[in-house]
This record gives sequence, structure tokens and C-alpha cells, in this order.
Amino acid sequence: MDGNSLHEADGEARLRHVESELALLRAKLEQNGAFPSAQALALAPGGGQEDKLSLIVFSGSLDRLIAAFVLATGAAAMGMQVSMFFTFWGTAALRRDAEHLSKSWLERLFGWMLPKGSRRLPLSQMNMGGGGPLMIRYIMKQKGVASVEEMIKLAAELGVVMHVCSMSMDLLGMKEAEMLEYPGLSYCGVAKFLETAAPGKITLFV
Amino acid sequence: MSNLDARGKSCPLPIVLTAKAMRQIPVGEELVVQADDRAFLPDIEAWCKKTGHSLVRSANRDGYFEAVVRRTA
Repeated sequence: MDGNSLHEADGEARLRHVESELALLRAKLEQNGAFPSAQALALAPGGGQEDKLSLIVFSGSLDRLIAAFVLATGAAAMGMQVSMFFTFWGTAALRRDAEHLSKSWLERLFGWMLPKGSRRLPLSQMNMGGGGPLMIRYIMKQKGVASVEEMIKLAAELGVVMHVCSMSMDLLGMKEAEMLEYPGLSYCGVAKFLETAAPGKITLFV
Repeated sequence: MSNLDARGKSCPLPIVLTAKAMRQIPVGEELVVQADDRAFLPDIEAWCKKTGHSLVRSANRDGYFEAVVRRTA
């Protein structure tokens, strides 16, 4: 064996050593979750994002609620996981006429000012003292557009999940007893929303 | 073959009702859907693409659209 080939053999051994070190490092990093393994990437196409729609329903306007529920029921029909988070004026859309509830005078005042459920919602534009919503409801019926109430029913059947912001409930003086009956309706905070929405593909604020 | 008449209904009802009706039929069966919402053909195409069900055929009939979809899973 001459000096040259001895040198080559030495180089190959070193290369193998470096390669095995790299493989070990990669395995360690994968274990620590520093970067996704090839297997994890294959399991989650689209960059690890879930087929999920999360809606924040802040508005308490009929037109915006219609848009939110068209999106929610449509996405559920497409086989997506759908979560709706109702906050601020949106929570009032989920009210129903409830029996007498014990409230403070300020809560009572708010209750009197807020719309009592989806049937009493104003329009964000052209409300015309309540004439607008009546007109739009009439036109929707004529054109075969599902009402918000019908879409809430469909959403329940399709498994759309509804969460209500507990802070908004407190702020607006609303009680659980005056919320509409919806399967699995739950009360939560910002953490629950973020945890649900973070891995999803689509998040919208209505 | 099941039939769903969604004529006179507007977006998203034709798609939502199709999704609901699809759950009622066995895998491999076909569902015929009629709708006159102008969004129906592009929507049913997108719905099939997304859900994996197959669009067997679609046609523009006299004043309405008709699509045949087959449940794949």
C-alpha cells in the first residue's frame, strides 16, 4: 500500500465518521422537535396545517352574521373542521328570550339595549330603524337564502363547534341561561381560541 | 339512485344539502342534484375536489343545473 492510497483510506474513514456524526445530530434534533422529520412532513401536507376554519364573530349585525354562517356551514359541508368564537356584539346574536334572570341594574340596562337574539339583529348598513332587517329577511326568503336561524340549525347538524367568550358575557351582563340551545356550546377565553385556531389553515374575523 | 332537488335555494344551501344527503347514501352510490343557483356548477366541482367524492357528470338543463355525484368514502 503506497502513501497515496493510505491517505485515501484515511479520508474515507473520516468522511464516514463525519456522516455518522451528522446522522446522530439530525436524529437528536428531530427528537427535540427542532425540525420536522420527513415522516412528519409526509403526514401533514401543506406545511403541517390542519384543514380547519376558525371564525371570530365580533359583529352583532345581521348581514355579517349571515356571512359568518354561510362560511361556517359551507366549510363544514366541505369536510373542514369549523369553530366559531363569539365575542362582544356577536354574543348577543346567540341570545334568546329568557325568563326573568337575576341581574344588577347595569346588567339589566345592557340586556335591555342589546338585541334579544338573531331575530332582532340590526343591519350594519341601511338599518333604517329596523326596516332594513325586515326587508332583507323578506328578500332572503324570496331568493331561497337560508336565514341565520336555519343556518344555526344546519351548523349544529354538520358539527360546527361554537364557543362564547366568557369575558364578553361578563361585560355585557349576559347569563348562560339566556343563550340559545346549541349542542356543545361552551364558554372559553382567548387561550382556547388560539389553541384551536393556531394549527388551522383559515382564520377570519367577522 | 337518490335525488336532491335544491332548486330555488341559494348558496350555500345546495352544497350544504348535498353534503348532508351524501351521508345518507352508501359508498359507491350516486346522487343526482338539481339546482338553479348560478354558483352551483363551480361550487359542486370544488366540493368534489375537496371532499374526494367524484363528479360523474354535470349539465346545464333548461333553466337549471344538474350534477351527478358518487360517494367514494
